[in-house]
Amino acid sequence: MKSASDFPTINAKIPDGLKEDGSKYRVLLVDDSIFVKKQLQQMLLSQDYEVVDTAADGEEAVAKYKQHYPNIDLVTMDITMPKMDGLTALEQIIEFDRSAKVVMISALGKEELVKKALLLGARNFIIKPLDRVKVLERLASVVKR
Amino acid sequence: MRVEYINPFVESAMSVLKSTVSENVKRGTPKLSTSINNIQGVAIIVGLAGQVSGRVVLDMSEETALNVASSMNGERLDSLDELVSATLTELGNMITGNAITKLHELGFKFDLTPPALFVGDNLRLTDNKIEALVVPLELEEGNLCINVAIKENIYK
Ligand SMILES: [Mg+2]
Repeated sequence: MKSASDFPTINAKIPDGLKEDGSKYRVLLVDDSIFVKKQLQQMLLSQDYEVVDTAADGEEAVAKYKQHYPNIDLVTMDITMPKMDGLTALEQIIEFDRSAKVVMISALGKEELVKKALLLGARNFIIKPLDRVKVLERLASVVKR
Repeated sequence: MRVEYINPFVESAMSVLKSTVSENVKRGTPKLSTSINNIQGVAIIVGLAGQVSGRVVLDMSEETALNVASSMNGERLDSLDELVSATLTELGNMITGNAITKLHELGFKFDLTPPALFVGDNLRLTDNKIEALVVPLELEEGNLCINVAIKENIYK
């Protein structure tokens, strides 16, 4: 009789962070809180994403996006940050690369803010506190589109 | 002071603590406080502006603060270092951010200042003429208080 282990690939879910060719989706992680950075990093690494770089404010985010371009598949963007907020950074990244995939991640979920972000070109809007399953689902839906 | 301003902060504190710290959060009896509050050791302060002025303070002992931050990080943290500070300010961010989202849905326009963290043995917070509502919250990690003081701005 055959056991489940004879079919290792049938039931094994391919991690969200892997492209069809087996390479990793590359993420730029933007948040001014080292707590959130750590939290997101753990979630992303658990699904085999590659965190290419991190940024702690909007200015740094724009600079790092340009520096790594075109080798970034996804940006997670906090909103409330020093120097430059996440919406301004979003605007500048989209101006530089119209097909940039940016997902906002914020503790603020006011309707007008969400609308504004989506209008500026954000692909999704996740409200903190972060639920691991929900975050991974949303990011996968953006990155695989 | 209007209860509809206060409740969203307390409810948001309960739900954020439940999802990030521990399932069992009990709400104690609310008290109106005098203008001076003694802070237990660690305080996270977020200012409110817009239709109102005021502030929200979460305060707790250093031991509770370390327990809370440890639970949120899923690892034991023993000193008030950068990670613990970032964790606690993010807790303040999430609680107030979720609360003002709810308040906006109810038609109240509030804005927030970024959270500030204060640590000290004999901290005192002085508010002139703003009455505060203090709600104790009990967790396995220890007890903390959410302290909300809001004054409506009168426009002429
Ligand atoms: Mg932030």
